[in-house]
Amino acid sequence: MPKTVIEFKNVTKIYKLYKNDKQRFKAIFFKKTPYKPKNAVNNVSFKINKGESVALFGKNGAGKSTILKMITEVTYPTSGEIIIDGRVSALLELTSGFDPEFTGRENIYLKGQLLGINTDEIKKLEQTIIDFAQIEEYIDQPVRTYSSGMKARLGFSINVNVEPEILIVDEALSVGDEEFRRKCIKKINELIEKGVTLLYVTHATKTAQDFCKRGMVMQTGNLIFDGDIEEAMQVYTDTIKE
Amino acid sequence: METFIKIIKEHINYKNQIMKLAKADLVKTYRGAALGWAWAIIKPAVTIFVYWFAFSVGLRMGKDVNDYPYFLWLIAGVVPWFYMSEMITAGTDCIRKYSYLVTKMKFPVSTIPTFVNISKFIIHLILIFLVIVIFRLFGYTPDIYLLQLPFYILLTFIFFNIWGLFSAPLAVISKDYSNLVKSFITAIFWLSGIMWNPSTIKNATLKKILKINPVTYLVTGFRNCFINKVWFWESPKTLACFIIITVVMAVLAIRIYKKLKKEIPDVL
Repeated sequence: MPKTVIEFKNVTKIYKLYKNDKQRFKAIFFKKTPYKPKNAVNNVSFKINKGESVALFGKNGAGKSTILKMITEVTYPTSGEIIIDGRVSALLELTSGFDPEFTGRENIYLKGQLLGINTDEIKKLEQTIIDFAQIEEYIDQPVRTYSSGMKARLGFSINVNVEPEILIVDEALSVGDEEFRRKCIKKINELIEKGVTLLYVTHATKTAQDFCKRGMVMQTGNLIFDGDIEEAMQVYTDTIKE
Repeated sequence: METFIKIIKEHINYKNQIMKLAKADLVKTYRGAALGWAWAIIKPAVTIFVYWFAFSVGLRMGKDVNDYPYFLWLIAGVVPWFYMSEMITAGTDCIRKYSYLVTKMKFPVSTIPTFVNISKFIIHLILIFLVIVIFRLFGYTPDIYLLQLPFYILLTFIFFNIWGLFSAPLAVISKDYSNLVKSFITAIFWLSGIMWNPSTIKNATLKKILKINPVTYLVTGFRNCFINKVWFWESPKTLACFIIITVVMAVLAIRIYKKLKKEIPDVL
């Protein structure tokens, strides 16, 4: 029986929207401060097994990003339980997550260390990462001088090369030129063959088909479909038309 | 209590990353300028010169204290203050500054004030060492009272680490709070007996208030090592007072952290 690596049990995430920051500050001391609850994710449950590759569809505001953030343990659910088993490497907003004052090379080390990889291991990966990102001599320049494409390539390169167990890709492949994109797709396919669990989040249904067999569709915080990719795409296209 | 254990655990699990980030924070502060590391010394040196000039030459106030020149009395208190003021502001802003650690990856928020503190603390240690050297140059050899210096250094470190944990989450939620802290920094500086000797105050109530001011306690503590030649156990009441304030702040910090931990990533 395959191992479950991501499991959501009745997960709900409510954002508290206050009228302004003053109200939010007041809420620390007074419980009664009024706020508008926003259900970003509503009672969602699913299981993803090791080695599966799953596409997550949904319109803007459907709750996709919130789910991803909860998987990466950046944000916490309001209620419910999330079980994650394995090193998560997330390609969320590729252009951020770097320290702009540091060079590309230093950022590779910093990020590696933050992911809990020891220095020797990073040294081994360093050249692979740089080669993959194609930033050549810029690698020793501060990241603040990079173009957004360069940042994205470096971010992608780090995340796929640190040997993740769970890979989360959020619209990342829309960056870079056609050649880089193909390279990314190839790399992701390689990782899938190695047994990496992939969660792919996108609006574009076409690329999802390339890697995923299973699809999930989100609509205004609810998981409305979970199953075969073809059907998922159909459901998603219908939600757009509505 | 549970949260407290959790915070300690997070520190143990991420101890390597904390050290790496402290180093990175330090490097970042002083890199990019031609003089680089020299600024860590030039900046305080200029400030000290200005204070000394204004008080000694301008206001003609700088009298010797306990047979030590005013200049030495000044640096013994102002140098610790540099670290304190850095921590009051940087400790408040640290989570905002390192928001990418909160919103872009899994990283324990409670350790952010710690590594920022360590980074500032290293500069502090260097400057304290220089103070000892300057005393030596003036012909005052370190004596037995200097042995309690590590005690005060440790107190300061702990106090401001807790301060960071207390202050940073609040600053994330409210910009007003962080502005409030910044606008009070000058007030704290002039009111806490850093530039003048708190023991010369005559008003009894004022004296009492100064006694419970933790900044006054620490600055006076550093001067006790260098100049006043007083042991820390000779004023047990003020020490007890300081410890109580620290513990109360720690309890509040843990409460606030517990309450805001889940909210911080959503706000940043």
